[in-house]
Amino acid sequence: MQIPYDPATNPLNNNEWSFPLLEIIHIVGFAVAIGTIFMVDLRLIGVGMRRRLPSQLSKDLAPWTLGGLAAVLISGPLIWTSDPNMYLHNGGFQFKMAALLLALVYQYTIHRKIAFADPSPIVGALTGVVSVGLWVSVIAGGIFIAFV
Amino acid sequence: MSILEFFRWLQYTTFATEFRQSALVYPIVLIAHLTGMGLFGGMIAITDMRLLGWAMRSSSITDVVEQLRVWKWIGFVMVVGCGVMLLSAKAELYYHNPFYWAKMTLLALVGVHALVFHRSVYGNTAALDSAPTVPRVAKVAACISLVLWIGLVTAGRSIAYYDVPNALVPDYSVR
Repeated sequence: MQIPYDPATNPLNNNEWSFPLLEIIHIVGFAVAIGTIFMVDLRLIGVGMRRRLPSQLSKDLAPWTLGGLAAVLISGPLIWTSDPNMYLHNGGFQFKMAALLLALVYQYTIHRKIAFADPSPIVGALTGVVSVGLWVSVIAGGIFIAFV
Repeated sequence: MSILEFFRWLQYTTFATEFRQSALVYPIVLIAHLTGMGLFGGMIAITDMRLLGWAMRSSSITDVVEQLRVWKWIGFVMVVGCGVMLLSAKAELYYHNPFYWAKMTLLALVGVHALVFHRSVYGNTAALDSAPTVPRVAKVAACISLVLWIGLVTAGRSIAYYDVPNALVPDYSVR
């Protein structure tokens, strides 16, 4: 698939600062989102933040996770417009998008439901481990964009 | 031995050479560097936001700081450990990059920040919790921390945008 689109017409590609600025927003948003998701995961696994119930912790951190994800999901597509066809044909990017879709769906269905229900240690641990695995996969796909 | 000589020695050690040439280990270390950064950076941001009164207000400052301490350290060790490995792969190239030194300066300032505010803020959370409002020193510490942290990301990302003059680029194909 080729998108009939000339990246040279994109204002992003016509100045020096907008692309790095978007990357910085992407990384800061990424850290806030992943950091807060991992905090809930560590609680579910039972190795961190144990002074709060998973449900309380999830509720407290939800706005920050959402804020971080919003920053990532706005800056990400803008970065993509800098060279859409290159990204679409990049294996790392394809993997990242598939993992991201899975991770997002998981986060707001199974993960959310189980964390809010204060699960048994085994169910919690499993839920947390899957979540960490999914989000590390997203990071891995992102890194491999530059290596494939 | 000057820093440049040390960096040259470092990048041509067997470890660094093998690491530089590995198509798999190099990206995996990058992934760990970034994962650690998410852990470390995200938790710093949440601690700062708690001090400012914007996040996790139903937990005490003591609970937030104490429960995150060990995980921040784990994140920090991941970031710095992988960072040193990444440096070793192309040490001489980083030596000539001003943004690398900006990043290292900011990293040192993060350490200074932790030392300066340990007594009054991060090691003094019981007093912060019992005060009627969060004392100004804690909010100042949080703001400085956030600025340093965003600065660190900015300098880190900028490393990739600086072109080291050709004459200074080492030839990594030899040795």
